[in-house]
Amino acid sequence: MRIKPFEYHAASDLREAVQMLSEEGADARALAGGTDLVLAMKHKAVLPKKVVSLHRITEMAAINTEGDEIKIGALATHSELAAHLELQKVVPILCQAVSLIGSWQIRNSATIGGNLAHASPAADSAAPLLALDATLVTTSPSGDENIPLASFFSGPGATILHPGQIIKEIIILRPQGRSSGRYLKLMRKRAVDLSQAGVAFQAELDPAGEKLAKVAIGLGGMAPTPIRAPEAEGMLEGLSCAEALKKIPSVARAVVAATSPIDDIRASAAYRKLVAEAFFKQAAQEVLTSLTAG
Amino acid sequence: MKIPIEFVVNGEPQALFVKPNHTLLDVLRDDLGLLGAKKGCGEGKCGTCTVIMDGKPVNSCLILAPRADGSDIITVEGLADGEPHPMQKAFVEQGAVQCGFCTPGMIMTACALLDEKSDPSEEEIRLALSGNLCRCTGYAKIVEAVQVCAQRIQQDKGA
Amino acid sequence: MPKIQIVGRSYPQIDGMEKATGRTRFASDIKLAGMLHARVLRSPYPHARILNIDTSRAKALPGVKAVVTYADTPGIKFGPRSDDWTIFADDKVRFCGDEVAAVAAVDEDTAEEALELIRVEYEELPFVESPLEALKPGAPLVHEDHPGNVAAEFKVEAGDVDRALANSHVVCEESFYTNQTYQAYLEPMGAVADVDLAGRITLYAGNQIPSMIRVPYAKALGLTLDQVRVVLPDYGGGFGAKMETNTHLVAMLLAQKTGRPVRHFNTRHDDFIAGNPRVPMYIDIKLGADKEGVITGKEVKVIGDAGARIVYSQIIVATACYRVDSLYRFKNVRAKGITAYTNTVPTSCFRGFGNTQATFVLESAMDILAHKLGMDPAEMRVKNSIGPDSVSVHGWKINSCGLKECVEEATKMSGWAEKKAKKRPLKGIGLSCCNHVSGNRAFAREFDGGAGIVRIGRDGRISVYHGESDMGQGQKTVYAQIAAETLGVPLDWVSVMQVDTDISPWGFGSFATRGTLMGGNGVLAASKDAFIKLAQVAADMMESNVDDVVCEGGRFYVKGSPDKSLDFKEVALNATDSNHGSPVMGTGFYDPPTVLPDPKTKQGNISPAYPFGCQIAEVEVDPTTGKVTVTNFVAAHDVGRAINPMALEGQIQGGVAQGLGWTLMENMVTNKGKVANANFLDYLIPTALDMPPVEPKLIEPYEPNGPYGAKGIGEPAINPTMSAITNAIYDATGVRITELPVSPEKLLAEMEKLKGSHEG
Repeated sequence: MRIKPFEYHAASDLREAVQMLSEEGADARALAGGTDLVLAMKHKAVLPKKVVSLHRITEMAAINTEGDEIKIGALATHSELAAHLELQKVVPILCQAVSLIGSWQIRNSATIGGNLAHASPAADSAAPLLALDATLVTTSPSGDENIPLASFFSGPGATILHPGQIIKEIIILRPQGRSSGRYLKLMRKRAVDLSQAGVAFQAELDPAGEKLAKVAIGLGGMAPTPIRAPEAEGMLEGLSCAEALKKIPSVARAVVAATSPIDDIRASAAYRKLVAEAFFKQAAQEVLTSLTAG
Repeated sequence: MKIPIEFVVNGEPQALFVKPNHTLLDVLRDDLGLLGAKKGCGEGKCGTCTVIMDGKPVNSCLILAPRADGSDIITVEGLADGEPHPMQKAFVEQGAVQCGFCTPGMIMTACALLDEKSDPSEEEIRLALSGNLCRCTGYAKIVEAVQVCAQRIQQDKGA
Repeated sequence: MPKIQIVGRSYPQIDGMEKATGRTRFASDIKLAGMLHARVLRSPYPHARILNIDTSRAKALPGVKAVVTYADTPGIKFGPRSDDWTIFADDKVRFCGDEVAAVAAVDEDTAEEALELIRVEYEELPFVESPLEALKPGAPLVHEDHPGNVAAEFKVEAGDVDRALANSHVVCEESFYTNQTYQAYLEPMGAVADVDLAGRITLYAGNQIPSMIRVPYAKALGLTLDQVRVVLPDYGGGFGAKMETNTHLVAMLLAQKTGRPVRHFNTRHDDFIAGNPRVPMYIDIKLGADKEGVITGKEVKVIGDAGARIVYSQIIVATACYRVDSLYRFKNVRAKGITAYTNTVPTSCFRGFGNTQATFVLESAMDILAHKLGMDPAEMRVKNSIGPDSVSVHGWKINSCGLKECVEEATKMSGWAEKKAKKRPLKGIGLSCCNHVSGNRAFAREFDGGAGIVRIGRDGRISVYHGESDMGQGQKTVYAQIAAETLGVPLDWVSVMQVDTDISPWGFGSFATRGTLMGGNGVLAASKDAFIKLAQVAADMMESNVDDVVCEGGRFYVKGSPDKSLDFKEVALNATDSNHGSPVMGTGFYDPPTVLPDPKTKQGNISPAYPFGCQIAEVEVDPTTGKVTVTNFVAAHDVGRAINPMALEGQIQGGVAQGLGWTLMENMVTNKGKVANANFLDYLIPTALDMPPVEPKLIEPYEPNGPYGAKGIGEPAINPTMSAITNAIYDATGVRITELPVSPEKLLAEMEKLKGSHEG
């Protein structure tokens, strides 16, 4: 439970950070909030020779909601996101999901970039961000690169980031039509638990406010990585809310068909599927009803 | 391999050399002799190590020591201002203290909550405290203590 | 006598502000000059032969002061109630977590690094992790000298059970399983050990039995009892777990080897895998009743899992066999208990001591019978309730008993009758009763009383010495109240001293809900003795008779003339000066009227007093997830006369929280011989958000054997919680829970089955 010695450096800017990280290669780790990394180091699951802290790069914590592109700095903490008034208006599903991460203490330290980079299949920020078609702006000594979140995860705890490449910010396109979203999380306690199944449902109406222009379903803890359920989404797109509401049971089955959860001590695969199906129905019902009521 | 940090702990500036592989909790307990924050799990799961860092409650067992550089830390030892903090009084009077091992962390979170919201609902109190485990009290008297403290602070402001 | 003023009133803990301000020095806060830090290397296998241990590289690491293995111990077998312990594994390891070696180094970083340098060659052996498997012929043997893995057997019988069951109108026959749970005190186990030049060890350890713990420790180290001194710091909870542990002996052995103070505390992980979790039990019950709902007979078979060594599990299994028989007016009972060794973490005491497991089973069976009879479960409890001034089937003498009142109050507070009458879908209400002891003669065999010393200094300050253990329950405050009441002084004149076995009386410690009654009676006796001595001085000063002198609010006066009074402190000064500095010392003890059970018939009387209780839970079941939410909870407990109502309420609310956790989420999972969830991420305990309102109610019949009429509360607070909740789940869903904890997934499946059967 003691951390092995390592070299520590607090980078003063982004360029310096990625330079150092790329020099050390796989032996270096970027430190954001540290709630995952420090624990992994205590468990000796990660033994970096060098840790580059990003916390001095304050611009990486900025949240900018002014334009059509909502920009969330990778170092924004879950607490900051959950309490952000503009985000609550535009993408409430994200605020709601990150407010369910860990404890208050954890949310005060842990960052959205860290949550994504840690790449837990059950990461609570991933399912709603997938449903919001988020793009990650990454940076490395060779420059910036935009990566759709949908192609970011490569397996449990794994991403396509290479050494020296870090997440700089997360971009979400501001919904054009009226939109609504809901995230439901299966926990074993009423708070402070990993998600055993997380279901994000985000829907957006066309400019006329009649048909569903966009439907997105993000799932956490239901596959080796957070995933979308495109077939299920396709069943709802173009429908009116009233039509969509009727189709919920069959879409729910399509949602489950997209999943491949595991059995572990937290929950069985069968139970995860059962609950994911029920959660999808509940989330879709709520979202579609609210859009109808609009 | 030790590196210098400067930070403020309970209002006092501190300049120390710390090992990067130590945590803020190690520094508080071993270097500064502030034993109020406890190590109940060392994994950020029990909340006994909770301190206020730059106005927010955090698990000091998950903060690397050098990360404390430039920060403002308040521990349970820093709450009393000549006399005990109203939260400390409320905890004692309401019977919210049993073994007392969770108490410092619990009080830090409770104080941070009232700083953010002066009249939280019972549900908000329970939610805010859910990262602080207590195995003795069943939380009932802890929640009461926070409510009593909030009321008293409100009354004092009104008076 | 002046009227009772301090006993019976709610006081905050006398050291509460020390705790709330972070000033209390808990066991893990202790730092001694030159102190070394220890870590233990634990077995990664559930069962393996140790072929070789190479500690040379660890010893060579700079900063390492000692590395020890079995070869460095006296090699004496020992144990609290057995001889199956060694300080480190000898020829083989018997569970994942078994101690193999330990290091003392200048700091924790170095100690942990050194552990990684120790090379151990193991030969893995077949292992057994279930007691049912362990008892089968041909199972791997945990201890070669215990054929069949039978660690202990227990039998008890009274009346004619077979006839009683045969002649019953209804019989419930059901099998139950209660799982392994972890006490989850927030301060891990550990100690600081110091050694003097004469080789005498001082152990600073948060533990529940500071006097008794010395006996096996002295034996293990080949020392005499007087060479082991225990000092008891404040500590972060125990709930039964903090008794004997190799964690302490590691520190002691390393202190001996290095001649320096050594600190050893479990990491949370180590505490999970090598602590003292609850004894898992398979319990089969047959319970019969006549048409009127009067219990006819009961038979139980218990198989308990000791893990790899006996701590107290065999007494816990015995307790599960028959303690609950004093809850109702049983006439015909039979029980057989087997305690089996397995290659898992040794199990032991956890609040309730086997009576929790048995209460879950009996009170589930009572619910089943009540439903079979179409009878109100509350009414059936009252009908069978043991009463005051009665003798139970095993000879236990019940003096005070407020069981019926507990049921009446709890049903009233919860709106039981209305809620039972009006069935609401997926909502339910359940009730459970319990009994317990206030001291356990069968556990503390030599004697089971309590003793105290009350010192009144020249300044009038009162110091109370006892040998019990305040693990947070507020024992010190209760002792201060008893002393202040008896002496007639304000509460804040009294200090309750840290237990130091060089000074304090021999106390058996905190278990069996005995602290208030046994320790309290010891303090009461000592306080009375001190009072008489000081009152004599006051009488002389006032030229009166000692029998006519009273003290109230810190002033002595002669009965009838309160206006002419003497300051207590002035009397204390006078007393000390006239004795050339010797303080007024009151000593006293309490000899409980208990009877050690007969080895054959088990007839006896294990406690001077028996507390009772009734709890009612209301639940809601989520039909999509199967998750159970407890929405409301009332707990009425017969505590005798309350000494500190607020502390009692806190005990009840805390006990219910632990019971709720056990019922709904707590479960140590062993997978391939390893604890799979040795952390607070996957071993779940309730948070503030998981707890419903818990409304306590104190029922206060005067207990003639209790100090100021008091009994205990610690364990009864949890005993009925599990079955109150599971009976409520039955009420909500029709699903009978026979296995703890309640799995939402299983509950959901059972609910589906029932739906199917109703539809079909």
